[in-house]
Amino acid sequence: MLSQLPRSRWDERAAAHLLSRAGFGGTPEEISNVHAKGLERAVHDLVESGPAAYEVAPPEWAHPRDLRELRQEARMAKERGDNSKVREVRKMEGDELLDLRRWWLGWMGATPAPLVEKLTLFWHGHFATSAEKVKDGYWMWRQNDTLRRHALGNFVSLTKAMSRDPAMMIYLDLPQSRPEHPNENWARELMELFTVGIGNYTEQDVRESARAFTGYRLDLATQQSYFAPRQHDAGPKTFLGRRGNFNGDDIIDILASQPACAQFIGRKLCRYFVADEPEAALVNSVAASLRAHQFEMKPVLRELFSSNEFYADSVVRAQIKSPVQFTVETCKLLSCDLPAAPIAQNAMRQMGQVLFAPPNVKGWDGGKSWISTSTLLFRNNFANYLINGDAMLPPANRAKPGDPGLRTGARAAIAQQFPRAPIDVNKIAPPELRADPEKLVTQLSQRVFQTGAAPEDLAAFTSFLEQRNGDTNDVTVRGLLHLMMSTPDYQLT
Amino acid sequence: MKPTLQTRRKFLRTSALGAAAAWTLPVFLEKTFFALDAMAADSLTQTVTGKDNSILVVLQLAGGNDGLNTVIPFADDDYHRARPKLGLAPDKILKLDSYIGFNGKLTGLKALHDDGHLALVQGVGYPNPNRSHFRSTEIWQTATDANQIASEGWLGRYFDNCCSGADPTVGVSIGDQMPQAFAAKTPTGVTFSRPEQFRWKASTGTDGKPLSGEEAFYRQLIGQTDETPPSDGNSIAALPGKTQTGTSTEDFLRRTALDAQISSEKILAIARKYKTNMPYPATQLGASLSLIARMIGGGLPTRVYYASLGGFDTHAGQIGSHERLMTVLNDALTAFVADLRQQGNFDRVLLMTFSEFGRRVAENANNGTDHGTAAPMFLIGGKVKPGVFGKHPSLTDLDKGDLKFGTDFRSVYASVLEHWLRAPSQLVLGKKFTTLPIV
Repeated sequence: MLSQLPRSRWDERAAAHLLSRAGFGGTPEEISNVHAKGLERAVHDLVESGPAAYEVAPPEWAHPRDLRELRQEARMAKERGDNSKVREVRKMEGDELLDLRRWWLGWMGATPAPLVEKLTLFWHGHFATSAEKVKDGYWMWRQNDTLRRHALGNFVSLTKAMSRDPAMMIYLDLPQSRPEHPNENWARELMELFTVGIGNYTEQDVRESARAFTGYRLDLATQQSYFAPRQHDAGPKTFLGRRGNFNGDDIIDILASQPACAQFIGRKLCRYFVADEPEAALVNSVAASLRAHQFEMKPVLRELFSSNEFYADSVVRAQIKSPVQFTVETCKLLSCDLPAAPIAQNAMRQMGQVLFAPPNVKGWDGGKSWISTSTLLFRNNFANYLINGDAMLPPANRAKPGDPGLRTGARAAIAQQFPRAPIDVNKIAPPELRADPEKLVTQLSQRVFQTGAAPEDLAAFTSFLEQRNGDTNDVTVRGLLHLMMSTPDYQLT
Repeated sequence: MKPTLQTRRKFLRTSALGAAAAWTLPVFLEKTFFALDAMAADSLTQTVTGKDNSILVVLQLAGGNDGLNTVIPFADDDYHRARPKLGLAPDKILKLDSYIGFNGKLTGLKALHDDGHLALVQGVGYPNPNRSHFRSTEIWQTATDANQIASEGWLGRYFDNCCSGADPTVGVSIGDQMPQAFAAKTPTGVTFSRPEQFRWKASTGTDGKPLSGEEAFYRQLIGQTDETPPSDGNSIAALPGKTQTGTSTEDFLRRTALDAQISSEKILAIARKYKTNMPYPATQLGASLSLIARMIGGGLPTRVYYASLGGFDTHAGQIGSHERLMTVLNDALTAFVADLRQQGNFDRVLLMTFSEFGRRVAENANNGTDHGTAAPMFLIGGKVKPGVFGKHPSLTDLDKGDLKFGTDFRSVYASVLEHWLRAPSQLVLGKKFTTLPIV
């Protein structure tokens, strides 16, 4: 059982922690507001966001098309030696994905219900599916929409929805599965990565459950999935010690009834929301809660976010920000816009988290794996770009291709196409604040590090200002912010 | 390559703590230094000079390379029976002997074989093979038994045991993510893909120049000061990691920041100074190997480089895709070898390929192949003892439709460790494995 956080421990630090883990962080004002609500109300508001949070307007191009016709046309043109159709289709795929990434990242920054997006991202990493194989923007958007609708709903229903989700089906070869040749890809990953984890099933279970998932089909003309009874192996199967004429949903129900399933999902939730190596007692508690609530997410999350364990000193500001968190939170703290879509996409690639393209079916490993010498330097330089815009580039290089950091090789001069101005310093450091360098450092580090930096670091930041002769013009303040955001501490949330 | 004893305690006192005292370094760093200093133990250290050591390049073929269509047992009727659609015709095979041949796209590798610069180890695997990409990759990366989990990688254990005190660039992986094989008690090794971007950039002032003072403060914040010059080969990476006060996430971040800063200057300097005129294919792998060649040519003190090529998970429509992958592999390796030869460094380099598993003997219903077990490994280098090692696994004596392995991959690792890196393999692999005379 999780223990409830005592009222006395609900302070601004706790409120900041809740906002950064259950959302994408907050400005000092947002933190104060959440703190003023009290713990119960704050958690309630995050978990019980209204229906509008789930009805996010899709990008305008996101609707089904007759893919069969589209692809056939392209193929026929290609046979005539005309590759333009193929290129056209590919360009459309690329453009739509770029726009889809802009759409989601933008919504993560703007939404009044950040927990919904944070969980949608969690499920995207859990039911990892990549556009690299699916190759269709509508299907990727639709999976995102399904993940969002179930994000705080029921895990078992979500898993069943994923078994019928066109993007997932394509990603794990489900439509190719035939009774005479059941494809084991989906069945294996369902057990290994989505429900019970490795070691809790046998190769025999993989083969038998693969039979249960035959008959799941896709109609390319409508882009919808459907069930084809004649392609389904309805015969008896032996699965995890039970015998029956199981279909796919039966298999998922049996998996959810295994104690290993609650344990597996509980651990993953703890890793995402609490700590890289969560304590066994915490995982057991969350697993017990999942079982007690039949995998309904809301009550489980409400308990977790209200618990003593969630606010432990060892937990607060000890998690490495994911690239998504880094990007959305940094823009929030700087009170600036997200970068232009192509720049954001490239930056996410450099940092190792491209939305709609996880590296493999296991999703993103997270934690320390986000950080290498390469990604860490990139984060520092990316913060520089977000703060200073194009001015971060030496003038001689500003319009040249392939140069520092933020442009994609030969496609060049993105900075010219998508100019970015430096942030408006007055928004976060008004003139009256700048008059007092010490106060300026204190307040900015309050904003950047949520609960303030260590005294030694504060001294270092102050001496940076001193070295600039106490000059606190825009350029210096931006330099100070960049310095703060380049510290190891800023990688933590 | 003589192991030298270095007193780490002394090093700590003279450089790191000295620096911390001289500057008003944030207390967190001092704490780290003191704690680690207390735990520090003298250990065997391989000195690295960058100009004369042997170098290992590990090339991962991610996704499970189809060994049977890479090295083809063409004379075996069972091969053609098992693969009516995917089996390669004689004109697509470069014969090595009367039984096996290379995939027709591997012309450069065939030439290396003929010149005596390539060793082929057949049927490499491990007992109780796992058919999950992730688990099997982990087994290869950590070099454990199939039923054991380890957090450190085999190269990480080599760094820990034989390279402590070394420069962070002792291990270099090309890409954005550190391979698990590098995971070490003491975080060691750097990861980058473009040297020009591998550098911290200060903000720009109104005069268009870097903001004065900012970079100096950045160095201070991450613990690099003028008293610890970047070229002295000593960094925080020299300190032991998993101590009781050890690898907190914050320590990990600080070390990485420091390693990045120290190594980025050196790498950028080499990249600027050393360019290659060898044409490489315009592929990711071509770019990775070209970068490695530049770093070798420029004398980066690296013992192990790591690169990877993905896309080998050929469940469907394998014919075209596998041939493309073989071409990518062949062309990049061919350019790399030519480049090293031109540099005069071919004798110093050993390149080893591996993949998490081979694929099933029989093709599947989608013109592809599913996850299998044993597969061949290539070792390429100027000093390699050429030839074909191990027997080709039988295509009829199978284990659940899969090949039975003949050589444990850890025997290959042990051979490379003992005979190439001159490192005690038992210490690194935790067990004694028979070595092969491949180098």
